Parts: sequence; C-alpha cells; structure tokens
Amino acid sequence: MNTEQILTLAEGIAKSWDWATEVSRPRPNCLDVKVNVLKELVPIIVGLRVKRLGYLSAIVGMDLGVDADELEVLYHFCPGGAVITLRVRIPRQNAVLPSLCEIIPSAEVYERELREMFGVEITGLHNAQRLYLPDDWPTGIYPLRKDFDPAVLAGMSGTGKPQKTNLSPNGFTIPIGPQHPALKEPGHFQFTVEGEIVTGAYVRLGYAHRGMEKAVEERNWVQNLYLLERVCGICSHIHAMAYSLAVEQLANVQAPPRAQAIRVLVAELERIHSHFLWMGVSAHEAGFDTLFMYSWRDRETVMDMLEGLTGNRVNYSANVLGGVKFDVTPAQTASIRVGLDFLEERARHYLNVLKNDEMFLQRTRGIGVMTRAQAEVMGAVGPTARASNVPRDVRVAAPYSAYAQFPVQMILDERGDLEARFEVRVLELFESIRLIRRILDCMPEGALSVKFPRRIPAGEAVVCLEAPRGEVLYYAKSNGTDKPERLKVRTPTICNLNSVVRLVVGHQLADVPMILAGIDPCFSCNDRMVQVIDGSERMLTWAELRQYGIDHYKRLVK
Amino acid sequence: MNVISNSLSLLLFPGGLFLLVVGLFYHWFDRKLLALLQNRVGPRWFQPFADTLKLLSKEEVIPDGVNPFLFMSLPLIALAGTLTAALYIPLAGLPPLSGFSGDLIVVLYLLSLLTLCMGLAGANTMDRFSLIGATRTLTQLFSYEAPFMLALLGPALAAGSWQVGEITNYAQGHWLILTQPLGFLVALVGLMGKLELPPFDAPEAHTEIVAGALTEYSGRGLAVFNLGKAVELVLGLTLVSALYLGGLSNPLWFVLKTLALLFVMGGVQALLTRLRIDQTVGLWWRYGTLLVLVQWLVMILVRG
Repeated sequence: MNTEQILTLAEGIAKSWDWATEVSRPRPNCLDVKVNVLKELVPIIVGLRVKRLGYLSAIVGMDLGVDADELEVLYHFCPGGAVITLRVRIPRQNAVLPSLCEIIPSAEVYERELREMFGVEITGLHNAQRLYLPDDWPTGIYPLRKDFDPAVLAGMSGTGKPQKTNLSPNGFTIPIGPQHPALKEPGHFQFTVEGEIVTGAYVRLGYAHRGMEKAVEERNWVQNLYLLERVCGICSHIHAMAYSLAVEQLANVQAPPRAQAIRVLVAELERIHSHFLWMGVSAHEAGFDTLFMYSWRDRETVMDMLEGLTGNRVNYSANVLGGVKFDVTPAQTASIRVGLDFLEERARHYLNVLKNDEMFLQRTRGIGVMTRAQAEVMGAVGPTARASNVPRDVRVAAPYSAYAQFPVQMILDERGDLEARFEVRVLELFESIRLIRRILDCMPEGALSVKFPRRIPAGEAVVCLEAPRGEVLYYAKSNGTDKPERLKVRTPTICNLNSVVRLVVGHQLADVPMILAGIDPCFSCNDRMVQVIDGSERMLTWAELRQYGIDHYKRLVK
Repeated sequence: MNVISNSLSLLLFPGGLFLLVVGLFYHWFDRKLLALLQNRVGPRWFQPFADTLKLLSKEEVIPDGVNPFLFMSLPLIALAGTLTAALYIPLAGLPPLSGFSGDLIVVLYLLSLLTLCMGLAGANTMDRFSLIGATRTLTQLFSYEAPFMLALLGPALAAGSWQVGEITNYAQGHWLILTQPLGFLVALVGLMGKLELPPFDAPEAHTEIVAGALTEYSGRGLAVFNLGKAVELVLGLTLVSALYLGGLSNPLWFVLKTLALLFVMGGVQALLTRLRIDQTVGLWWRYGTLLVLVQWLVMILVRG
C-alpha cells in the first residue's frame, strides 16, 4: 500500500457513518482529522487498527491557553510514510479522555505522560502511576500547561522516595537503577524473581528529566536548535536535523541539495557511531568485555571522522535552519573513505564473531524473542522492530532529506531474538557505509544554506526521522512569532521500553540486562530536564552557568 | 632453632607475608594480561597493593540487619583457611612445610572454605544483590567441586599416594598432563570456576547483581576477602602445576609453570562470554564430570 492509498483508506474510515469529523490534507502525506464528538474517537481508532493503519506514533497534548479554556490532544498515526492526525478538543477543567490501552497497548506511556504533563484524566488506564514527575510533585500542577508557574515548586524537597509497587506481594524484588552498573543512565526498573526467573517488571523514568519541551517555548527558533541537539548525546544530529526539517516545513523553506546530502552523511556516520557503541555495551552486559573494548576502540575511528568533519565529537552542530554549517572538502572525503574501509573490515569481523562464537550465541540465540505480531502490538521501532521482521524504517517508507536521492535497503530478520537484533544492527553498519560512499561519490554541488526568516508563519508540522534507535517524531506548532507555541519530541526508546517490560517476564535474571540493552535504551532521550547542583545544593542560574563555562575554558587555555 | 625457623616459614617465607605479596602480584599479572588482550592499558604493578592498603585503612561499614560477629569474622576465616592450605602445598618450588597421608583432601576442603565463607557472607546480609550472589556462589561451588576434586585425585591415583608432597615428587618424573590431558583440562577450568574468573563470574556479574555476595563489604572485610582470593589464586596455580606439569623442583620452575598456567587462563578469560548460572551447572555436570570419569576409566583400564 502506498502513501496515497493509505490516506484514502484512512479518510474513508474517518468519514464513514454520519460522524461529525472534518478532514483535510495539509500536506501530501498528511491527513488531518478533526474529531468534533469525543465519542467518535475510539471507533475511528478501532477502524484504523482493523485496517492495519493503527501504528500510534505519538500522543501530543497542547494547551490552547487560559482564554480558550481548552486542551487539544493530537493522536499521530504513522503507518508507512503517511501521517494521520486525529485531533480532539476537551475543556481545560474536567479534561477526560478514554484510554486506548485496550486497542493499542503501547498507548499506555503516552497517556501517562499526557496525564502528568497536562492533567488529562484518562479513564480505563491500566497503570496510573507516575512515569516522569517526581513523587512529591504537588497534585493539580501540570508543567506543560501554559499557566504553569515554576514558583509553586519552591517548597518541593526533591527527596521523594520511589512509590511502593505491588508487583507481587510475596515476591523477591531486584531493583535495577537509578544507579546500577548495568545502566549508564538513570532509569529505575524493578523485577520480581522466583529463584533466577523473572516474574514481573516495572519501570519508572524521569530521573534526568530536563523539561525541554517547556524550555523550547521560552526560546526563539534559532536558540532551540542548540537546545534540542542536546536531547541525546549519541544521536544528537538526528534531533537537530528533525527540528530543522520541521521548522523548514513550517517556514516553507527547502535546504539546498548539497546541505541535504551533508545532513544525511552526518546522520549515517552517527548511525555507525551509535551501532558500534551499542554493540560494545550489549556485549558488556553479557560479560563479553573483550568485544566491548574492541568495538569501542573502533568506534573512535568514526568519532575522529565526525570530529574532522564538524569539529565536535558529540554535539556535531552540523545544522542551521535552512542548511548546514560546513562543507565537505576533498581532503575530508579522502580521510572518511580510509576510515570507512577500516570500519567495514572490522564490522565484517564482528559479524563473524556474533554469528559463530558458540559461547556468545548461548547468551543471544532464542533469548528475548519478540514475534512480529508482538512487535506490532507493542509499537516497537527501529532495529528492534526490524529484527522481528516488522518493515518499519522511515528512510525507506517516507524518504526525507536526501534519502530519496540515496535510497536505503531495509535490513529485516524474522527471528526476533537477541541474535537477530545484533545481526540487524551490524548489517545496517554495512548499509550505512555503502550509503556514505555513495554520497561522497555523488555529492551535489551548490550552496550550503539559504536565507531563513526570523519569524515563522503560523502552522503545524510533523516530521518522522529514522534515528539509530528507531523512529523519532517531532511535532512543531508555530503561532507566527519568533518562538514556538508547542514542540513535541517523541524518541524511539519510549516505544521500545514498552516491549522490554513485557519481554523479560519468564527469562533468567542474567538475561535481563541484555534484553534491556537489546533495544538500545537511551534515557537521556526520554527524560529532558536540566538541574545543575553544586555541593551546596544550589541551583545555578543561566548567567552563572554561562560564567562558569567561560571561566572553565579560560582555565583550560592557561 | 627449629621453632624460630618454623615460625619464619609460616609468617614470612614461603608462607604468610610472602604468599600475600605473591598473591597480589599474580592478581596484578592476571589483570594486566587481560587488559593487554582487551586492548587496554591495565593497572600499574603496585595497583593491587595500593588497593589493599587503601581498603585496610578504611572503616568497615556494618549494615543493618547482619550479625556483626559473622560479618567481621567470615573474611578472617576465609583468609585463615587459604593460608592453612598453604602448609601442605609445595610453595615456591620448596617441599611442603607439613604433610600427612591424605592431606590432598584437606587442602581441597580448605580451599573451598573461601567460597563457603563468601556464600555465608552474602547470605548474612539483607542486601538483595548479596543474597542472589550468595545463592549463585554456592550453586557454582556444588557444580564444579566434584569434577575438580576428581580431576586432582587423578595424579594421586597415578602416584599411589594421597599426600601432596609425595605426588609432587612422583610428578617430577612424569608430566601427567600428557597421560591425563582430560583431567588437566577439568582441573584448569575448575580452578577458574573456583576463583570466579570469567566466564564463571556469574556470582559477581556486576551488570546484574553489582558485586554479588560481597556487595555490602567496603573496607577491611573486603580487603581480607580479596587477599584470600589472591592467595587462593597462587595456591590453585601451584597445586595444578605441581600435580600436572611435572612437579615444582625449584623456584624458577615454580614461577615459569604457574605464570604459564595463568597466561592460558588469561586467554580463556578474554575469549569467552560469561555463562549464566544454569549454563555453568549444566557445563559441569554434563561435560566436566563426564570428562573426568572418562579419564578415570582410561586410567583404571590401562593400569588394569
């Protein structure tokens, strides 16, 4: 089914019976359905689900302001390359929505987020515990509402203890995180075990929540580019790129072809970097430290390539609104090619190890199996989904930027176990290397950026990009000023985390870290809040933080 | 005079202090070797010594809910057990300080005392990681102990004596690794299981259960446990090379043979992925025991 057929089918569903829906097509691949009667929301979603269009990518809440006295909630469905948006409005006071958990189990986390951030009561929610906000967060205070005043948090102690969970009253619970050797980032998991077998799992996030979605509303469009690049340390480029594409869509500006090619070039280098890093971490979880050390050594090659190209190892800062910052010189091209040859040889070696090392296969083969049906129901994305034979790759389904010109081959595997997740990622390394060589061969000529307006016309944009970990969704709404009205970032980890919590049940405790790592979780992507605290537990203001940075670098230069 | 020289042998050389220093040095050699094989720099030679001194000077935090007497005495019992085992082992190429008929069995049990103490130490605390680690430590003990013991009794059978000193003398003329290769293999791998080295490090798999049974130990107790493990490393290497690698007739052979054995063990550690505890048990009871029994069968048939 191509995008046009999908949209026609969805339009048919949304307009059947005598439903009071308004349907429009803001962009060729987008369908916007305004659901005027709340009762009709669930039947429409059931209809989409039945026709296999029910891949729920994100639920975006929006506060239309105290004057309008309404909240708007957007359900983004992204089957194939299409984006189907269902839009409902509910009153600000007494905001109630039905839960979709029965139809789409993966909706649970989005609904919990909506409940915490906007105060929308969800009827029929299976798990109404807090996901992100601290446990001592005052009730009735919703941070993403427009009238939220941070002053109300002054009395918060910040010492809230995690909730007591009742996974099984007599069970033996193993806590993993927020500080644990298996997790390099703060997340909290609880596993009940009987002997070595896991019988239940529970997840809690928010330990590094940086409130970025709120922060972007206080900054102008250009400043936000730098903020959003810092959503994640590993896939920093893809966030800046997604934001740039969304804003360019709003402003009706197209980056020049050469800039598009360079963006894709950096994105693919980043994918290589991320997959090498992941391979090391996963091998470490299995206790195979030699593979960990070797793959991280080889990852340095791609880090050097990125540094040579952009000047930075982590936050490459390649994008500007309307293009990219730097050009690729022939000398850089040559050094990238040399690096790629080395990486290709290494990746071939690792593929051999992953496929043939009997001891390692004992830990990966048949472990954490997720069938295609499960992966679809749980809304898995990225390599995790592709290892379960779900053909979900935004680069193929809806080629963005320069991917239309440089097509990608989708890597699929039908086994769905950890071994498949390893193999899919290593095979994607070869695909990325091939793609980068192709881009370097046929780099389009021309300018690097176009002039970009300071004010963005009012409108909405949804973009989906394929990050190394899977689909990233950015929703941006402009109100015609130089600041965004609302920006929603939906990262791939939150989709895949759902599946992990269900997959580990019945496995050995020893397999848990590997299954967890198998989805390549990134908690900094999920959580977005900054709070710099020094020894005296004092919060630094932006000015102090800036001064600290300046002094720090001055000391370094001396 | 005899009393003085005996106490010197026990406290300074080749037992006691010398043993602790050699243990830490071998521990460093193992770490450094693994680091080099894994493309890392690895620790400097004095790192284990510095770690031990630091830990010894630290306060031991006794957590709530433990029996404080057990908590403090278990590390000491473990170290004492391993040091006692040294009495009957031909350390540094010298004949054992003491010996009686059947001391091989005593040595094997004294060497297991460390593992047993670690299991008890884990079970003594309320910590969940410690409890799981203790369960795994003891499960692993039950899986490798029988094949390991049978593998070390092979040379005893060949020598016709169950006294370590006599077996060593017999082994000097016979490289038993050639006649009993299966037994040697099981003994070597069993030693790795005993020392909880990768791939048998499930009891202290830090990505799952932090530091396993010893999670709650942070100061002197940890230092003493670490010393015990270091001593056990030397004793195990000495025992296996004395029984299988043509005895230990002088200090040079001692150093060469034990380090060669450690070299092989380092390579195995770098190559293999950690086994889950069920896989460890399966490996020992399915293959380890079987191999050793085949070895015994061959020996009995040949001696006929």
